[in-house]
Amino acid sequence: MTPAIELRSVGVRYSSGPLWARRHVQAMEDVSFQIAAGETLGLVGESGSGKSTTGKVCLGLVRPTQGQVSFDGAPFASRRTTRGRLAAVLQHPQWSLNPRLHVGMSVAEPLAINQSSSSEERRRVVASMLERVGLEPSLAKRYPHQLSGGQRQRVAIARALVTHPRFIVFDEAVSALDVSVQAQILNLIRELQEQAGFAALFISHDLAAVRYIAKRVAVMYAGSIVELATAATFYARGLHPYSRGLQAASDLIDEPDARLSGLTEDVVREGCALTPRCPLAFDKCGRERPELRPLDGDLVACHRAGGA
Amino acid sequence: MRNDAPPARPIVTISDLVIEFRTRRQRVRALDGASLSVAEGEKVGLVGESGSGKSTLALSLARLLPTNAEHVSGDLTVAGKSIFAMDTASLRAVRRRTLSYVFQDPIGTLDPTMRVGRQISSVLNGVSQRSAVASSLLEVGLTDHKRIARSYPHELSGGMAQRVSIAVALAAKPQVVIADEPTASLDASIRAQILDLLVSLCAGHGTALVLLSHDLRAIAHYCERVAVMYGGRVVEDGPTANVFSEPFHPYSRALMKAAPGQERLGGRIEPIPGVPPILGGREERCTFAPRCRFALESCHSERPGEQRTAGRRVICHRVEGGLPPLPR
Repeated sequence: MTPAIELRSVGVRYSSGPLWARRHVQAMEDVSFQIAAGETLGLVGESGSGKSTTGKVCLGLVRPTQGQVSFDGAPFASRRTTRGRLAAVLQHPQWSLNPRLHVGMSVAEPLAINQSSSSEERRRVVASMLERVGLEPSLAKRYPHQLSGGQRQRVAIARALVTHPRFIVFDEAVSALDVSVQAQILNLIRELQEQAGFAALFISHDLAAVRYIAKRVAVMYAGSIVELATAATFYARGLHPYSRGLQAASDLIDEPDARLSGLTEDVVREGCALTPRCPLAFDKCGRERPELRPLDGDLVACHRAGGA
Repeated sequence: MRNDAPPARPIVTISDLVIEFRTRRQRVRALDGASLSVAEGEKVGLVGESGSGKSTLALSLARLLPTNAEHVSGDLTVAGKSIFAMDTASLRAVRRRTLSYVFQDPIGTLDPTMRVGRQISSVLNGVSQRSAVASSLLEVGLTDHKRIARSYPHELSGGMAQRVSIAVALAAKPQVVIADEPTASLDASIRAQILDLLVSLCAGHGTALVLLSHDLRAIAHYCERVAVMYGGRVVEDGPTANVFSEPFHPYSRALMKAAPGQERLGGRIEPIPGVPPILGGREERCTFAPRCRFALESCHSERPGEQRTAGRRVICHRVEGGLPPLPR
């Protein structure tokens, strides 16, 4: 079966500044993964690790400078061809919903753009969609500011789902919510995925939320994937020292030795990018850049992993 | 229980505090008889959903509530003096010397028109030498203090700005620091560093810390006592380890069950059904009863009173009636 989305050694380089003093930032480097229909890939890492750039590349909002992205087996040609088949749910629904539109209009908008349908039909679809995400259909007449944070995020999910997309990017979709509302939204995402079978990329720095929602987890550091493992492996052992550092930082494991030292500003040009912060670094790490290599069915980029 | 230790003097005492907000259409009761005390040097975590009254409680400590807030009844004392009976001059003194705040959005908290060094020296109260600013920046782990002192807030990263606002909060050596979601806008890995810093600095100065957070795991890790708020009251208050391992109040239990991270891999978490209440006045029943799995008949008709058992204060009819503990 063709995966819903596939990245093959994708790199993104952002450039800024005037032509004679160009500055470049390598936001993504050699990133490859695929997500099958009905599957969720969790993407974790600190801010600045390239998580959100990866999300944008998957949505076709950022054109990669290297590598290839294919969606449903075909490379991204223009955004018109993927319209309605890709969707995103972002962190702050109060910013991602138009404050001047009734939420019913917001949910109906993708339909109006993509398909020729009568307004009567759209109203019916919107009502059933709102019901599916656990909202009263009568809320369609409200404005976003009249809803609570959890309700707004449900509206954002309804809008993402209304065109029956093949693939949805959730970028920090539950980070701004309360504990109890977060649980409701996480359960909703899981249920909807079981029904609709979309592929999902769940970007978050909340490792506990990712653990709940994703079967596989990709860990990014400095623009590269350093570990791509099943949730069972990632949360039981964590192959990469960076993964264990993240888990220690969020108190999922109690392992003070695994903690990473603070972020340094100097860019590592040679060897593993984590070397200055890594509790396990040895001389080889400073010289040679570790490749992403298979280890018991998972992938890891570390000289130490697997016993060395 | 810490009965054997000499009782630490309370620095903050809140008793039966009722605060209401007036809007054009309605009155909303944000605090409905909240009680809490914080001892000198103690670290207390305050948890609860949005709308539970956490932030109102935190802001009332320095009378920082908006003008449409009304103090209805109850009392709040800081260092032995009642905040609501205070004149403006002594209130200013309390705000300057006794209490300080660390808020969620560090860049928004700092004055955007002022360099960081000047903001710190303005809190230092007379001692405005460079060395004092440098040492307080070094204390919060900003080794590049010369550059930071010259920067404007927007030139700093979120983590650095939060370090600066911690430096500002602790510069005047207050007796209590109130941290309202200090890490909610930061990254997971920086979160731990910022909380480590805040907690260790408070411990070093003997400052009490009131930490408001959604992040139950962080509260469990850093605070010795936790107070759970619901419907404008502190419904359970006790030593963190006990409350987390065996919550007495059904709401505390539900909150802990709703947080992902402790379930079996692939298992389900139970969200709390329904939404938190918005109170219009004094509530004559348990405000959690409509959402409670363990509600009794009396819960819907009688206002529960405070019970003290096993080193905890709990507001629940089940505990009052001596019913068996909640299932795991």
